Amino acid sequence: MRVTDSMIFDRANAGTARARSALDAAVEENSSGLRVQHPWDDPGAAGQLTSANLAADRYTAIGQAAGKASDELQAADGALGEVQNLVARARELAVQLSNGSYGAADRSAAAAEVDALIPQVIAQLNTKFGGRYLFGGNKDGADPFDAAGNYLGDTAVRQVEIAPGVLEAASVRADVAIKGVGGGTDVLAALQSLSAALKANNVAGVQGTLTTLAQGTEQISTARSGLGGSMAAFDAAVAATRSAHDREQTRVSHLADADPVESASKLALAQRALEASITAAAQGFQLTLLDKLK
Amino acid sequence: MPDLLSLLSLGASGLGAARAAAATASQNLANANTPGYSRQRANLEAVLPAERVMGTYIGRGVTLGSVTQVRDRFLEAQLPAALAGAASSSAEASVLTSIATLDPANTSGLTPALSSFYSSLRALAQNPSDPSLRQAVVSSSQQLARTFNATSADLSSARAGADSSLQSELPNANTLAAQLADLNARVRTARAAGGEPNDLLDARQKAQDALVSLTGATIVTDQEGNANAQLPGGEFLVFAESAGTLSALPDPTNGGLVALQLTRTDGSGPVTLTSQPGGKLGGLIAGRDGALKTAQTQLDQLAFDLGSALNAVHQGGFALDGSTGRDLFTLGATSSGAAATISVNASVAANPSLLAAASTAAGVPGDATALNALVATETQTLSGGLTAESTLASLVSQYGSASGAAQAYSDHDGGVLQNLQTLRESTSGVSVDEELVELTKAQRGFEALSKVITTTDQMLQTLLALKS
Repeated sequence: MRVTDSMIFDRANAGTARARSALDAAVEENSSGLRVQHPWDDPGAAGQLTSANLAADRYTAIGQAAGKASDELQAADGALGEVQNLVARARELAVQLSNGSYGAADRSAAAAEVDALIPQVIAQLNTKFGGRYLFGGNKDGADPFDAAGNYLGDTAVRQVEIAPGVLEAASVRADVAIKGVGGGTDVLAALQSLSAALKANNVAGVQGTLTTLAQGTEQISTARSGLGGSMAAFDAAVAATRSAHDREQTRVSHLADADPVESASKLALAQRALEASITAAAQGFQLTLLDKLK
Repeated sequence: MPDLLSLLSLGASGLGAARAAAATASQNLANANTPGYSRQRANLEAVLPAERVMGTYIGRGVTLGSVTQVRDRFLEAQLPAALAGAASSSAEASVLTSIATLDPANTSGLTPALSSFYSSLRALAQNPSDPSLRQAVVSSSQQLARTFNATSADLSSARAGADSSLQSELPNANTLAAQLADLNARVRTARAAGGEPNDLLDARQKAQDALVSLTGATIVTDQEGNANAQLPGGEFLVFAESAGTLSALPDPTNGGLVALQLTRTDGSGPVTLTSQPGGKLGGLIAGRDGALKTAQTQLDQLAFDLGSALNAVHQGGFALDGSTGRDLFTLGATSSGAAATISVNASVAANPSLLAAASTAAGVPGDATALNALVATETQTLSGGLTAESTLASLVSQYGSASGAAQAYSDHDGGVLQNLQTLRESTSGVSVDEELVELTKAQRGFEALSKVITTTDQMLQTLLALKS
C-alpha cells in the first residue's frame, strides 16, 4: 500500500486519540468504581438498575414501617400486660374477700384499692406511643377511654405493610379486648361491679365478679396473643426486608459496579496502548527522505 | 540529417519538460497538507513525429502532454455516502450522549425521587396522623414533581441544543451550496478554454464533500460535468450554476423546534422538505426528534399516568379535616407536556393535613386505607401496561439502546469513512518522499539537458571554427 505523509500523521492522530479515549474511559471506571454510568454503557443493566434500586429502597421503607409497627405493638402489649396484672390483683382481692370471714371494713378497704386500680387500668389503656393513642383504633388523636371507662375509639384495626402489597394488623381492638364487644366481658365494668359489691359488703356479688374477671383476664390474654402474632409477623418482615434489600443491593452491585481487578487491568492496558501509540507515532515521523538529501 | 540547431531545440524542449515536472512536484509538495488535494502528475510525451534521418528515425525531444490528477473514481464514488453516514451518526450520537439526567447513578434523578415518594407514603401509612410524616410526604411529592420537571427540562434542553446546532449549520450549508454552484460555473468555463482545471476540481470536490457531509446530498454529475447536489427526497440544493437555500421555520407541531425549508435553485418556494436531510443536519434532527423525543413523550406519559393514578386514589380519600375529592398532583388534561408541568396540588402543599389518608371521614385521623391504596399504585399497571417502575426502567433501557446504537453506528461509520479516506489518501495523497524523488529526477534531467545544450553549443563553435 502506498503510504503518504498525511496518512502517517492522520494515523498517529487517530491512534493516539483512540488510545486516549480508552484511557479516559478506564480512568473514569477506576475512579468511580462503576461499570454502568450512563444508559448507553449497558442498556439492559441500566433498566434493571432502575428496578433494583427502587426495589431495594422499597424493602427498606417496608422494613422501617414494620419496625415501627412492631415497636407500637410491643408498647400495646406492655400496656395490656399491665392491665392484666391490675385485673389479676383485683381478682385476688375478689377471691380473698369472697371469704365470709372478712368483714365490711375489710371489704371497704378492698373497694378503695379496686377504685384505685380502675384509673390505673384506664391510664394504661390511654397509652400513647409515637404521639398517638394505641387503643383507639382510627381515633388515635384522643383518649380512647374516659374516666368512667367508656370506650371512645372505633372498631378499626390499623394495617401496615409487611411485604409489597401484603398488610398485617398493627393494632388491637380495645372495644373487643377490654369492653367485650362481640360477646365478651367488659373488664372495666367487672372492676366497677367488684368495687360496688365490696362497698356494699355483698359477698355473693363479690363472688359473682370472679368469673367475669377471669374471663376478662382470658380476653386480654387472647388479645395479647394476637398482638404477639402480629409482632412476630412484623419482626419477620423486618428481617425479610433487610435480607431482600441486601439481595437487591447485591444485584445493583453486580449490575453497576466495576470489577476492581478487571478495571485495573483495563487501565494498565490502556496506559500501555497509549504509550505504544505515542512511541509508534514519534518513530513514524522520524524517517523522511528530507533528512537524507543535501 | 538533423542539424545542430535542432539539437538545441530538442534540449530546450527537454528543459521545459523538466521544469514542468519540477513545478508539478513542487505544487504537490506545497499542497502536501492541503485537505482534499489530489496529487498531480506531469505527463511527458515524446514529440511526434520523429525526424527521419539517414533512413531511420531520430527523436525530436519531449513535450508536456498534460498534468493530470491521480484519483480513484471507484473509491471516490463510495465516499459521499460514507461522509454523510459518518456525519449523521456522529451528530446523532453526540446529541444523545449529551444528557446525564437518565444515568442510573444520578442521585437527583427520577429513580431516587420515585423511591423517596413511596417510602414517605409507607412511613405515613404506619402513622397517618403524624404531622412531620405528612410534611415528609408533601416534600417527597414536590421532589417527585420537580424531578419530573427537571428531567423533562434536561431532555428539552438537549433537544433545543440540537435544534440550535441545526440552525447554526444552515448558513454553512448555504455557503457550501453557493460555492459548489460557483465552482460548477468556473470548471465549465475552464474546460471550455481547454484542459482539465485540476485545482478547481479539487476545490469543487472539497466543497461537495463538505456539503454531502452536512446535508447528506447525493452528488449527481450531469453530461456537462456539473456536480449537482440532490437532497434526500429529490429536491436539488445545487443544480448546475444555481444554488438553493435552506432555511428554518419554527414548527408548532414539534414544540416550536424548527422544520427545514428549501428555496429551490430556480428561486421558487420556500417549500418544507418532505424528507429529512442526511449528514450532520440529518443526525441532529434524528437525535432531536428520535430517542430524545421518544424519551420525553414516554416521560410525559409516565408523569400523566402516575399522577392520574395517584389522583384517582387521593380524590377518594379523606383529609384530616374530613374533606375529600382533592387531587394530589396538578396535571393538564392530556399527557402532552405533563412531565414539564406536573406539580403538587397547591392546597395540599400549603397544608399537609389535607393529604387524604383515610378512606372514610369517620376513619380520620388514624385510618391509612387511602395511603395504603396510594402505596399500591406502585404496582398498578399504567396505560402502557407496565407499572411506573417498569415504565421508568423501560424508558432508561430504551434510551440506552438508542443512544448506544447511535454510538455504535457512529464508530462503525467513522471506521468505514476512515478506511475510505485512507484508501483515497493512499491513491491521491502527496508523499513527500515521492515528490522529492520526482523533484530530484527533474533536476537531474534539467542538468543533463543543460549539458546537451552546452555540448551542442561546443559542436557549433567547432563547426564555425572550421570555416574561419
